[in-house]
Amino acid sequence: MTTGSPSSVRKVVVHLRATGDAPILKQAKFKIPGTDKFAKVIDFLRRQLHRETLFVYVNSAFSPNPDEVVIDLYNNFGFDGKLVVNYACSMAWG
Amino acid sequence: MDVKEAALDISHWDGTLSLNDFSIAASAFSEKWKRFNPGVPPWSWVPCPKQHLVSSHRVEGYLQLENFCCVKSSEKELVEVTLTQKAESGRSNKEECFDYATLVCSEQPHEVIHYDFHIVYSASYRVPVLYFRAYHTDGQPLLFNDIEKDLPGNSAKLPSESKWTFITQEEHPYLNRPWYKLHPCGTGEWMKLLFLGDPLLTVKGQLIERYLVSWFSVVGQVVGLKLPLGMLDSIVSTYSCTNDEKNGNTEK
Repeated sequence: MTTGSPSSVRKVVVHLRATGDAPILKQAKFKIPGTDKFAKVIDFLRRQLHRETLFVYVNSAFSPNPDEVVIDLYNNFGFDGKLVVNYACSMAWG
Repeated sequence: MDVKEAALDISHWDGTLSLNDFSIAASAFSEKWKRFNPGVPPWSWVPCPKQHLVSSHRVEGYLQLENFCCVKSSEKELVEVTLTQKAESGRSNKEECFDYATLVCSEQPHEVIHYDFHIVYSASYRVPVLYFRAYHTDGQPLLFNDIEKDLPGNSAKLPSESKWTFITQEEHPYLNRPWYKLHPCGTGEWMKLLFLGDPLLTVKGQLIERYLVSWFSVVGQVVGLKLPLGMLDSIVSTYSCTNDEKNGNTEK
């Protein structure tokens, strides 16, 4: 799947999708360099939503490690030219 | 009672598992782990027959991964990554250089920390719970402060104060010794959230098979255990996210 050419910085379209009662972002889609860590996406969301605790997940299946590289996530779980990332504000746990 | 083929209405599922489901989920998880993490110690099932007579064909027990070694230097790299990101954000004249002094402990030799992880079923929350302990090579246990500093999750700025990553020291339910545990309140809640968007997840057996992998993708972050993408790939339904997106939220 991965062609293994990290030298060319490919951009990845990330689509941020609110779930639960998380606020919807004005700009839900944006491009980031594929070489960025997923932590960048989480940080971006935290800043935008002014929340420290967010639950961020992909494909109704898992929560990516912040250390994961965006292009790897895209290659594995991207669809239709983008990586869909769901987010929810941590609810009133416990 | 064959739950494996039972149809499932995901919108009414509360994110929890029965004890029996847990043991099925556990064996699915450890098998996947073995397949995708050949170089890492495996998770093994430790049966714990209860003294009272529970007429179950499955023995109660937990999953364990023992003696997982972590070299401290790799954690340092992570710290540096977060620091450079800070620097990039353009506030150079703050006293943040102080952080450099405290975080990068260059004079320390590369120390190996050993971790033991257990995944134990909580009967009261009806979800899996991660128990762990850490110790130096000479067997001396690490204090929580040191563990916290050492957790890669911490350097990745996972908020330790957030409730779902709340760590407490408690008695291990089977070993009766103090272990650290990630508090399970909220687990059912976010597991439900995680699976809710998947319209193809309609068979309970499938959900149980995937449960611990999904669960671990969240919990592992707190203790710095990463699942390989291939393993995550194996639990992703092959449905298009876009369908779901176009129709708002189809529950079909």
